[in-house]
Amino acid sequence: MNNDSPLKAFFVVLVTAMVCSSLVSATVVMLRPIQLNNQMLDRSRNVMKLTGLVEEGVTPGDEEMLDLFRDMDMRIVDIDQAEFNNELDPLSFDQRRAASNPDLGVDVPSDQDLSSLGRRSRFATVYIVLREGKLERLILPVRGAGMWSMIYGYIALESDLNTIAAVTFYEQNETPGIGDQIMRPEWLAQWQGRRIYDEVGDLRFAVSHAKVEPGTSTWLYEVDALTGATVTADAVTSMIRYWFGSHGYRPFLDFLREHGYGRP
Amino acid sequence: MTSKETFLKPLLRENPVTLHVLGICSALAITNSLTSSLIMSASLTSVLVMTNVTISLIRKHLPSSVRLIVQITIIASAVAIIDQFLTAYLPDAAKTLRVYIALIVTNCIVLGRAEACAMKHGVGTSFLDALGNGLGFSIILIIVSVIRELFGNGSLMGHRILELAHEGGWYEPNAMLLLPPSAFFIIGFIVWVIRSWKPEQNEEAEFKPAPLPDSEKR
Repeated sequence: MNNDSPLKAFFVVLVTAMVCSSLVSATVVMLRPIQLNNQMLDRSRNVMKLTGLVEEGVTPGDEEMLDLFRDMDMRIVDIDQAEFNNELDPLSFDQRRAASNPDLGVDVPSDQDLSSLGRRSRFATVYIVLREGKLERLILPVRGAGMWSMIYGYIALESDLNTIAAVTFYEQNETPGIGDQIMRPEWLAQWQGRRIYDEVGDLRFAVSHAKVEPGTSTWLYEVDALTGATVTADAVTSMIRYWFGSHGYRPFLDFLREHGYGRP
Repeated sequence: MTSKETFLKPLLRENPVTLHVLGICSALAITNSLTSSLIMSASLTSVLVMTNVTISLIRKHLPSSVRLIVQITIIASAVAIIDQFLTAYLPDAAKTLRVYIALIVTNCIVLGRAEACAMKHGVGTSFLDALGNGLGFSIILIIVSVIRELFGNGSLMGHRILELAHEGGWYEPNAMLLLPPSAFFIIGFIVWVIRSWKPEQNEEAEFKPAPLPDSEKR
């Protein structure tokens, strides 16, 4: 057929589109199980780091990690109702996707939206570390707008639901060498032992704008500044302030403190 | 042109980045770490080889009216496939590189080689041309990222090489090197060095300033 005929052009485009799309779909279908496994592994690594169950410096193999993770006590929390939800599956629930879902997500009122979230999921997957049947650590997911894009992380609280046991940020796109210092292990280690609320229940946690000296009034609640990264540091502060405020986990934490945690 | 020349020319003498100044977007964005650069280089080279060979195979049946659409469809599919493989087998790297991998579709080297080489030459030549251009791009990316990661972060592929001052070492990292503009500077220097060595690469001035009118002459 003549190359200049419109019919040939149509035919060529059609064949290219068909062949290319089937190749791409085939690859996606073929690689999907591996990708899902990776996602799960990634999540379990981030969570397990905060449980205190894995010794520092020891990295369990992939399979072992997944087993440890599946054995964890995972629950879905209804953030606004401040209670556990038993209908959703914590392993497969996708909090990011839920945020934009009309039924599963909710708008964040603009006067409370410290972290520029816009919307958030009504539910959150939380992880609970039990020791002798009692809650030892509670791991909560947090996220907030950083300098350039969303920062995602987990915070582990001690059994008093106030003292920070550990923290991790597992996805961020802060300025390299400046804002991405939030990933530095030495800086994250400082969070351990800091408190979120003071005795009267005011939210005091912040990333300081200076070095926090031991013995000062803010010592219990603040971590050191990040050199040159004021925007990122403030973003982290806002993120904690939002998630532990009244539109975040605060009602749920109050509920837990009052009722204690027992597996139904 | 012999096949050896087809392969060797784009490595240095007709390097797509320094001579044609193509593919600069990714050279800026991902060269702050050597690992990212290597993955990006491998991805671009594979996309380039796949598309150049495919397009060369069907070049005689491509009506010129829909030529570009078909080329871009093939390129985009190759990129999507590479992206899927990266998320499956190199998930950690893929997370940081994802957007830039997708942007290979708009990397001018790929479409440029499809138009300049694959549409006119046989499969063998197109394959070598793609490989040469891919490796030429990789060489520049690797040079830039070694400079940026080593002096900006004191490490190479995440391994500590220079002890950083804030970790108790002696090296005060140059944070500017981690920001995108530094890639411009480094590529600029490389272009300068190559063009001083091979002056025939210098472009003609696009315009000359008009001569001063007599009244302003002293």
